[in-house]
Amino acid sequence: MLSIWIGAIDQGLAYAGLALGVYLTLRVLNFADITVDGSFALGGGSAALLLTQQVAPPLALLVAAGLGALAGLVTGLIHTRLGVNDLFAGILTTTGLYSITLRLMGRSNIPLTNVPLGLGSDGQWLIALLLAMGGLIVLLALLLRTDLGLALRAIGNNPVMARANGISTRRGLCLGIAAGNALVALAGALVALYQGFADVTMGIGSLILGLGAVIVGESVLRPRSVTWALLAVVVGSVLFRAMIALALQLGMDPVDLKLATALLLLAALGLGRLRLPGLSAPGGER
Amino acid sequence: MSLEIEGLSWGHALPGGGWRQLFDGFNLHCPGGQFVVLIGSNGSGKSTLLNLIAGSIPAATGSVRLEGRELLRLQAHRRARSIGRVMQNPLDGTAPGLTIAENLRLAECRRRSLLQPQALLGLHPGRGDRRRYAALLEELGLPLADRLETPVGQLSGGQRQTISLVMVCLGAPRLLLLDEHTAALDPRAEDSVMRLTQQLVQRLGTTTLMVTHSLEQALGYGDRLLMLQDGALIGDWSAAERQQFTPAALQALYGSATVPEEHISRS
Repeated sequence: MLSIWIGAIDQGLAYAGLALGVYLTLRVLNFADITVDGSFALGGGSAALLLTQQVAPPLALLVAAGLGALAGLVTGLIHTRLGVNDLFAGILTTTGLYSITLRLMGRSNIPLTNVPLGLGSDGQWLIALLLAMGGLIVLLALLLRTDLGLALRAIGNNPVMARANGISTRRGLCLGIAAGNALVALAGALVALYQGFADVTMGIGSLILGLGAVIVGESVLRPRSVTWALLAVVVGSVLFRAMIALALQLGMDPVDLKLATALLLLAALGLGRLRLPGLSAPGGER
Repeated sequence: MSLEIEGLSWGHALPGGGWRQLFDGFNLHCPGGQFVVLIGSNGSGKSTLLNLIAGSIPAATGSVRLEGRELLRLQAHRRARSIGRVMQNPLDGTAPGLTIAENLRLAECRRRSLLQPQALLGLHPGRGDRRRYAALLEELGLPLADRLETPVGQLSGGQRQTISLVMVCLGAPRLLLLDEHTAALDPRAEDSVMRLTQQLVQRLGTTTLMVTHSLEQALGYGDRLLMLQDGALIGDWSAAERQQFTPAALQALYGSATVPEEHISRS
């Protein structure tokens, strides 16, 4: 019983990179990025491949994140240089990435059961993930408070104003989308590690999962600053996983999981839109 | 910091087919520090001229030089490093989700690229930045110094336009473009924004092009008054020559196909 909940926290933290990446692209840059579906699987697949080649886990995670950044950069360039709209640019990259990930992996599924990770019990996983995510939140919170972070936030908030203040929106979008997908690929690698295998289809629905975590976190914590928003997103990721764990425990068929996820997200979106008194804070535009 | 426009040509396709050549070899020379007011009926090309200078409409031919530096070959965001611009819609000039202090910080850094590793050094806006902004707002007589942490989206249109103006001036522009920047404001806000405009233009001594539909503004502000029609200058008066007009006389010229010869003096 308890292990299910600890499992939900572990999983939620492993998926937190996905939520942070979606927050960065969707909330900070105002860019709906479907590339995450592809880069999540790319991260998982590449990390699994490297781990089976006896590469040290930290290096494997780093390479996965780097490949994710490259995938994001491709979407950014398609969007800013060729003028392709955001959703379509992401779909193009994700479609191409499926073949690339499959070629990289060599097969559709890589099991990691025989790979020693140096993390024995669940407790060690939890501590390692908590430290990693805490570090990521601090790093991102600091980054978003520098001049560069301020420029990225301005691009998402009002691109006309950003350009009028000498900021290249093209360059900023490419940079931000690349960073977001690096986080997502890192999450893909962590999830592959956690579940003990990588599958080429593991990215399907990632954007919705990430968005779900962002919305749940924001609805529960109502953050007013960037730092709190980042924390809320990670908490949202854990809560979202806990909800799924609860649904499974109540006897839901795993086949219906994606449908339940979509409905849950729809409900969260609806609640956000209805702005229930007490649940929603009055405030300015965000 | 002179602005020299020579042989500027630009046209656009018409919705029903066909082509409209709005500017055809347009010339304008503004000596450094001149405050030029530009009037003309709708569609005469006033805002388009500012857009062509700022680069928000690309693909013009000819030459637009600021202090001898050609602008037409530069991307819009690069031109923005030397051009300050306040637009008609108060929502365009500021980022609503960022605080006043954050908006001011962006404007202050306009001269350099913020998407470089150096921009990762230090957290901004910090305490020192805030103190500087508060002092500036107080010096300008603006009651916003204690609201630096307020998201700009919570301000009124007049207050947002005020912040846009302050932002433009923080970036120390070489050229100031004001595109009907008081058109969306109520009379009281318009009055206070115009007073601030005058104050800032004098303080900076920047070459300024102001587009307006207000005849009171046209007769009350600036060193020079230009009238534009169908992409051509049909009137060019100094502040002294402008004295001949009453608002009604200017209104009569406004939108008329030709301006009587005695009203035209070209400098």
